[in-house]
Amino acid sequence: MKVLVYRTSAVLLVIVVGVLLSSLLLFAGERSKGPLEDLAATVTSDVARFEKQLVGGDQRNSRAASLRWFNQYRTHKALLNAPDTILVGAYDNNTAQSYEHIVALEESLQVKLPIMQLYTAWGSKKDQGFPMLRAQAIQDLGSIPMITWEPWLDDFDRKEFTTKQPANRVNEGGLKAIATGRYDAYIDKWAGAAKQFGAPFYLRFGHEMNDPYRYPWGPQNNDPADYIAAWRHVVSRFQKLGATNAVWIWSPHPAYHNYREFYPGHDYVDWIGVTTLNYGAVAPWSKWYSFDEIFGSSYAEFSQYGKPIIITEFGSLRVGGDRAGWFRQALTDVPVKYPAVKALVFYNNASDVTTTYKSLDWSFDADKKVLAAATQAMKTWRVQHSPIQRLLKEKLLVAAPRAGQPGLPRGGK
Amino acid sequence: MWRNKANNADPLWQFRAAASPQTVHKLGLAVLVVAGCASILHLADWWFRAEHVASLPLFLVLTFIFWWGIIRMVVLWISYLRISKPAPKPAPAHKSVAIFTTSSPGEPLSMFEKTLAACARINYPHTTYLLDDTRDPRFREVAEQHGAVWLELVGLPGAKAGKINAALQRTDEEFILVLDPDHIPFPNFLDEVLGFFDDEQVGFVQVSQAYYNQYRSFTARGAAEQTYGFYGPTQMGMNGLNCAVAIGANCTFRRKALESIGGHGTGLAEDLVTAIRIHAAGWKSVYNPVVVSRGLVPEDLGSFCKQQLKWARGVHEVLFAEVPRLWGRLSFWQRLSYLTVGTYYVSGATMLLFLLIPYLFFWGGLQPANMDFVEFVLNWLPVGVFGVLIYLYVQRWLCHPEEERGLHWRGMFLKFACWPVFFLGFVLSLWNGKIPYIPTAKLADGHFTWFAWPLLAHQFLFISTLLYVVVDRTYYTPEARLALSSADVWGMMAFAGIAFLMTSGGLFAAYQSSKLTPKEPWAAVPLPTAGHPASNQPLAA
Repeated sequence: MKVLVYRTSAVLLVIVVGVLLSSLLLFAGERSKGPLEDLAATVTSDVARFEKQLVGGDQRNSRAASLRWFNQYRTHKALLNAPDTILVGAYDNNTAQSYEHIVALEESLQVKLPIMQLYTAWGSKKDQGFPMLRAQAIQDLGSIPMITWEPWLDDFDRKEFTTKQPANRVNEGGLKAIATGRYDAYIDKWAGAAKQFGAPFYLRFGHEMNDPYRYPWGPQNNDPADYIAAWRHVVSRFQKLGATNAVWIWSPHPAYHNYREFYPGHDYVDWIGVTTLNYGAVAPWSKWYSFDEIFGSSYAEFSQYGKPIIITEFGSLRVGGDRAGWFRQALTDVPVKYPAVKALVFYNNASDVTTTYKSLDWSFDADKKVLAAATQAMKTWRVQHSPIQRLLKEKLLVAAPRAGQPGLPRGGK
Repeated sequence: MWRNKANNADPLWQFRAAASPQTVHKLGLAVLVVAGCASILHLADWWFRAEHVASLPLFLVLTFIFWWGIIRMVVLWISYLRISKPAPKPAPAHKSVAIFTTSSPGEPLSMFEKTLAACARINYPHTTYLLDDTRDPRFREVAEQHGAVWLELVGLPGAKAGKINAALQRTDEEFILVLDPDHIPFPNFLDEVLGFFDDEQVGFVQVSQAYYNQYRSFTARGAAEQTYGFYGPTQMGMNGLNCAVAIGANCTFRRKALESIGGHGTGLAEDLVTAIRIHAAGWKSVYNPVVVSRGLVPEDLGSFCKQQLKWARGVHEVLFAEVPRLWGRLSFWQRLSYLTVGTYYVSGATMLLFLLIPYLFFWGGLQPANMDFVEFVLNWLPVGVFGVLIYLYVQRWLCHPEEERGLHWRGMFLKFACWPVFFLGFVLSLWNGKIPYIPTAKLADGHFTWFAWPLLAHQFLFISTLLYVVVDRTYYTPEARLALSSADVWGMMAFAGIAFLMTSGGLFAAYQSSKLTPKEPWAAVPLPTAGHPASNQPLAA
């Protein structure tokens, strides 16, 4: 009996201590995950930057060289916010490994695309921090990143960002939680990385906040006042940390005419962003709308804010009308009828699953008629790249160091 | 006397014994093993997730090569829990003992002089037999000079085992110690062995195999390092599970046990064949972790690889021919043990696949798994930590810890460099192919051994891939792709670089082997006198 007790307790002791030891290491691993991931991300972008320096090749042939005229815009925030031209850009869903798709698209359109847009969600996962590698890659290609920053609150580590709300209801009143500082640690880290990135970039935070059927930061979960408070809070954190290179795009949905209630105020917004997507006859609730019908009806109001306007998602589906005609008309009208529009981002998304139960194909890079119509229409634009000298005198924002960039101080004198 | 002085000075030529396992130490080990197993469960929970599969066949291959090593490690850990050392038993008087040592054409006579002289000094009364097929009269002279019986056994099939079986017919001693001619026995050899035969069930007693020429080269050092753990904690664990294996050298058999299986086994792994048959016949085995002789370990890479190829091929012979035949008569642990020993050289195949991963990526665009590197490191690290801790912890049971402790990195480099050899052995065994004749470089002929060619080919592949990738990325990769693919490409290159580094170790061994000056290491060895454990021996100056 004594032997049995002795042996049983020895075995139990061994198991308990062993499992404890193992848990201790796992716990240490869990704790070091964040810092390790940050380190890995830093190493990743450092390796990419180092490689760019080594194999950067002939700067004269680089895409950045062909976009040299844009350099003076993207390095001057004041100029960037009052361009004398229409800056064109694109979003493409097929850019996980490469931006070749966008380069191909600009060859088809015979126009350079200085803006490259990407989407990223809030959260604790490793790809939910500031997308340094992508921003750097876009910057190195001579463009400016436009980051649509979506405050989904589901992916936060509940141990770090504690709340009494159950996990499936964490988005309810989420904007108030943001405004009162629950997610400050995340915001600050993101802003710190953005500051480190250094170059100006468009930041489109909490877009389509007035659409109650779309995103969790919409009015179904929040009051407009909370949206404004959250926006101002986020902008203030950026300013406090010196991340002044963020260019803020306030981007409501034009179909819901309540957007005025969500405007955060002149001092907190740089651009007004408007989504202009024609769903055509793809769903029972949709019909074919012209660009004028979608965008024109609200333009009068949007232009009153006195801010430059960016069409953040520009595109039309195929079903229900003349797609090439839609593009031709829209692109012909923009500089003439809507002079406040200073930027336009093509929505070349072959797989949009945000709206309908099936994936929608907005891509037009294989649609020869659309490409021809768009190319032709944009040729009529009288754009000139001769920026206003007064704006150029304002303080130069030094871009993140790039390979072969001349004129950077070299130490010593 | 000069001999005593010399023996006192040289730690190698003193009797050594592994520490007896104490309960408190075994509890500590058990804690580490439980922790290690818990970490492995955690790793498995993470590894086997659908989101990690990039290409199912490749993922299965990767899973196989990764978990193959882990499962073998767990089996080893569990056997460590049964580490045991047989209680010393004095040798009973008046037993008849034979020592068999064999000589073959080409073996240096001076080595036999040393070995036979040392045999003559073994305390316990015995008869030494030289099983000779050299047809060289000097061997007979040397044997008789040292009081050994000379048996001429020419033209027998089955090499060493054939001669042993023939000698068994011509002798009648109850116990037979099979001693390799390069092993110089200590005087107390038989005293450390014979007592265990008091148990009528014991069929053979194996002791440790230790070496005295490991300082000669990187290869020798690495080869010796690979054996330290095996002759310490590993065999002690197998002893506790009654599945200690005979190693061919330094093994003492009961004649009845050998006769019960129709004589010593033959083939490339004759020792293992003999052991499994004796186990299957119901005999017990004893492993005594003591150093009572020291011999030679291969000094040049060519000889080492040749030895490994012979074993790899032989071990697979056991796996395919003996294990299935004797399966029903083996205990659970014996089955597991022979399966584990029999599949040791499968690592040649897993290593080849491991080496192929980066080249499949660079030349074929294939990626086996969608695993995040940081996540992999974090999930794998506890397993690695406990693996190393257990490896170091069980070193308290090495036969000669002061000499043998360490991380054994040379052994790791050498094992890595042997993958072509293991792979060849593995492949040959699939169709029962014969080992091709491979000329072993005589020492210092200034040439790389044939076995190093695949290593050179691997280095060439790495360097040309590196050049290809550099050129491709400098001149042909669109700049729109460069930054986003950078981490994947250079991460994979770093992975391939590990193999490049490990292979460089093997090539260094090959280079050093080609420059090695031949020497007769036994010439400088004084005859061992340490007849008692070093600890309690009152050595008179």
